[in-house]
Amino acid sequence: MIKLTNVTRTYIQNKTEFHAIDSISLSVNKGDIYGVIGRSGAGKSTLLRMINLLEIPTSGEVVVDGQELTKLSAKKLRLARQSIGMIFQQFNLVNNKTILDNVLVALELANYPKTERKERALEVLRFVGLEEQIAKYPGQLSGGQKQRVAIARALANNPKILLCDEPTSALDPNTTREILSVLKKINEQLGVTIVIVSHEMEVIKSICNFVTIIDQGKVYETIELNPKGIGDSNHTPEWFLQQLRDGESHA
Amino acid sequence: MPEILVQYQAEIWQSIEETFIMVGVSLLFAIFLGLPLGTLLFLTRKGQLMENRIVFSILNLFVNIVRSFPFLLFVVFLIPFTRWLIGTAIGTAAATVPLSIMAVAYYSRLVEQSLVDVPKGVIEAAVSMGASIREIIFKFLLVEARSGLVLGLTTSTISFISYSTIVGVVGGGGIGDFAIRYGYQQFETELMMYMIIIMIILVQAIQFTGTTISKVIDKR
Repeated sequence: MIKLTNVTRTYIQNKTEFHAIDSISLSVNKGDIYGVIGRSGAGKSTLLRMINLLEIPTSGEVVVDGQELTKLSAKKLRLARQSIGMIFQQFNLVNNKTILDNVLVALELANYPKTERKERALEVLRFVGLEEQIAKYPGQLSGGQKQRVAIARALANNPKILLCDEPTSALDPNTTREILSVLKKINEQLGVTIVIVSHEMEVIKSICNFVTIIDQGKVYETIELNPKGIGDSNHTPEWFLQQLRDGESHA
Repeated sequence: MPEILVQYQAEIWQSIEETFIMVGVSLLFAIFLGLPLGTLLFLTRKGQLMENRIVFSILNLFVNIVRSFPFLLFVVFLIPFTRWLIGTAIGTAAATVPLSIMAVAYYSRLVEQSLVDVPKGVIEAAVSMGASIREIIFKFLLVEARSGLVLGLTTSTISFISYSTIVGVVGGGGIGDFAIRYGYQQFETELMMYMIIIMIILVQAIQFTGTTISKVIDKR
């Protein structure tokens, strides 16, 4: 579904090259909930943004649903982005639009049939449990509700992929669990492939079936997770294991 | 009504009308040219969607040059251009030329500043949804910045009123010019005071309207 091959992102800082992403390859299969974890500054958000080309790789290939995105024209790239939903840590809703309008705008952008837009928007808002709030503005909602609106907006155009950039980092533990269960439901009921970036092991462990650990712009390790926790691994970094243990004691 | 106001009634009404014409035309230019120019100024900034150093530098230089002129000198400086454009450099119509150019430069800077305040994440979300630049401007940027844009326009309007008093030098007319010529220069202090009061009321009304509208449309 998603295949990154040797992607690199290089910045020039004070005349020296800095590799935010240093030749990373990974592949995400259809139906996966794929986690990317790493310390802040490790390059995980940059990596996520390469999947919809918000970040353009300095080199390497980005293939999503059979299309090599770096080779697309601007117009085709916009079309491709319409089937890749994305949610963010800070929700990024338009605060001057009502909840309903925030979802409708995604449908307008995607040229969704005019007469069916409202119905579709209400459908996704019902899916995330916000059908009562459609006339409100984001400023009147809690953080968890805002993230649900963002999820509804991202889902409106029936994407095949949902990218999540630290989706729960601005939320409290209870709300985090709620949002994670919504994501799980999206994956199970709608068959949407999810890639989720987080620095919290708890988040990754509770919903992902694969996790890639990123450190200093490189893949440290990719591990398959099963419901009991972590699979076979012999060189998992100590900070990661520590987080894992911390997570267990909280659970 | 004070006798002196009755005595000059016709001239006062005319000067008010002239002020409205000059400020109104300036406002139209601010909205239809200043708004797009300010948006372009924002979009061509470093790190923005249409980052372009050359375009940005040219626009930035234009805005800075116009705004660094003392307005009186700007009016005089533009006389040949004004004459070429509308056939005369004297009168209310002629006076709208420097006013309008100043209005465009002035408001475009305020537009740019309002747009800078829109969270970058909102633009990023728009891009991730496959929005074109046009859609990002109309469905995201201007929507999110609208109360700042209204406040900026309010500030601009008040500045235009102030600028319009200066175009008396080219026979632009207006309340300010009337206050100076009939009140100050002919020692009719009372008349001058009444004119100042009219201007204060006008400015208060504009500021009140602008602030109220910007509050009502701000849902952030």
